Amino acid sequence: MDVHTMTRRWLALLAALFLGVLGSQALAQAAPAGQQTFDSVLNPNAAEQAKRQQQQPGNNAPVWREVRSEKEHYTSTRGVEAGVLIQSGGETWRQRRENQLIPMGALVIAGALGACVLFYLWRGTMRLREKPTGRRMLRFSGFERTMHWTVAISFSILALSGLVMLFGKLVLLPIIGHTLFAWLTVACKTIHNFVGPVFSVAVVVLFFTFVRDNLPSIRDVQWFAKAGGLFSDVHVPSGRFNGGEKVWFWVGVLGLGVTASVSGLILDFPNFGQGRATMQLANVVHVVATVLMMAMAAGHIYMGTAGVEGAYDAMRTGYVDESWAKEHHEYWYEEHKREAVAAPAAGPAGAIPAGAPQAKEKTA
Amino acid sequence: MARMKFLCDAERCIECNGCVTACKQEHEVPWGVNRRRVVTINDGVPGERSISVACMHCSDAPCMAVCPVDCFYKTEEGVVLHDKDLCIGCGYCFYACPFGAPQFPQAGAFGLRGKMDKCTFCAGGPEKDHSEDEWRKYGRNRLAEGKLPACAEMCSTKALLGGDGDIVADIYRNRVLKRGRGAEVWGWSSAYGAPQGGAKPAAPAPAPAKS
Repeated sequence: MDVHTMTRRWLALLAALFLGVLGSQALAQAAPAGQQTFDSVLNPNAAEQAKRQQQQPGNNAPVWREVRSEKEHYTSTRGVEAGVLIQSGGETWRQRRENQLIPMGALVIAGALGACVLFYLWRGTMRLREKPTGRRMLRFSGFERTMHWTVAISFSILALSGLVMLFGKLVLLPIIGHTLFAWLTVACKTIHNFVGPVFSVAVVVLFFTFVRDNLPSIRDVQWFAKAGGLFSDVHVPSGRFNGGEKVWFWVGVLGLGVTASVSGLILDFPNFGQGRATMQLANVVHVVATVLMMAMAAGHIYMGTAGVEGAYDAMRTGYVDESWAKEHHEYWYEEHKREAVAAPAAGPAGAIPAGAPQAKEKTA
Repeated sequence: MARMKFLCDAERCIECNGCVTACKQEHEVPWGVNRRRVVTINDGVPGERSISVACMHCSDAPCMAVCPVDCFYKTEEGVVLHDKDLCIGCGYCFYACPFGAPQFPQAGAFGLRGKMDKCTFCAGGPEKDHSEDEWRKYGRNRLAEGKLPACAEMCSTKALLGGDGDIVADIYRNRVLKRGRGAEVWGWSSAYGAPQGGAKPAAPAPAPAKS
């Protein structure tokens, strides 16, 4: 007799009791209506438990199975998952965090920073080959720059505070001690929780701001085939954004940025009743996405500052020199060269002075 | 030194919630926080069982391992305590704990977590024993008074046992032998199965009953 048949037979007995037809199992078996009532009233485990109680008093295996099922049971205490006696996902999460996310995350971030340093030692800053013409082109509008820096600054704050929370216990705590480290970390947590939503909104706006010029095109194949001229001195023409920037846009900003935002918001707002399993998963996803994003951001920040001459000024002032445009984004230069304007306050060598003068003048 | 442990005998628990009430009263636990709770499996069905659960003061405590500010510590008696001055309210201990022991008072809108609160085995916190600060943050320090946890002391059926793990195990072993059945020691393998943090081995689990 298999378990299922036994269950049905026993349920039939219960039905018989319920109907007051005591002692006649055979009769009860011929009462499918009552049996159906109990099927709908008792869940399979409860039915199993009630059966066991009669057949083998003291053998409470169904109860202990149910305890381990991590299902909610009755409790008069209020709270999310208060009715769950024991959850095993926490130990899994702990092992994943302590043994995988923290060491591997450290490796990925250190690897990315190391790669930037090695690349700089090898190539140095990529300088302009031709002399600047002194005529400037508007590369990023005021709105675009505002969005870029909103995301960039909020990202940096989140990254630094996140690093303290992920690695600080191993790196900072032994140096600065428990009290000071707790002060620092509570500040980091609070800042992280408030800046996070700002980043989430800004990253979506940033996506729509730059999506048009980041659509993949056949020219990107050419760029990737020559690795963007990163490892050689060949000139690789590209549109407003080159293949590498597009990868950063789609994978980094959209893919990882949105993943980090969604998982972060789940963790940031525990007031919507999400359970521990959800938050453990969200935490793992959050750490993976943000560590990868920090690694990619290291490359992006390197290329935008020390890696390429004039790249930082483009995002700071909005303008680039004609020569810069021609050397780094030739197709974009060809399309927009008529819009180039003479620099009003050219420096000694005709270079664009970074900062204030550009900010005040009217933009095209 | 004795290794303190909790044990809830599911054959005896009658879901009176006396332990929950005793705990709340003893420590004047803030509104919305319950250091102990009673859960009933398949409530209302023949064979239902109730179990009282709080922090089990695990040997290899997951909360201690994941805390980003290392605010937990373990007393010589194996009681897992934490320093509320260090706690940042991140909730990681709550994710990791098998028993749902860490509780967070609301500290602001959107479920902002305050400093974690949990069962102290009635052993207070890092502050000076019986000091005003200790009372305010962690409640009464009964262990320092030579008493056992209020919940177990209050239990009317002696289902909930709290104290020296060896003695608790002996009491339970005798019960199992008398009954001739029901050797399930709820939560013990999860809480005390791993070696003691700091390489000291955990007290041996009670011998399984022969049925």
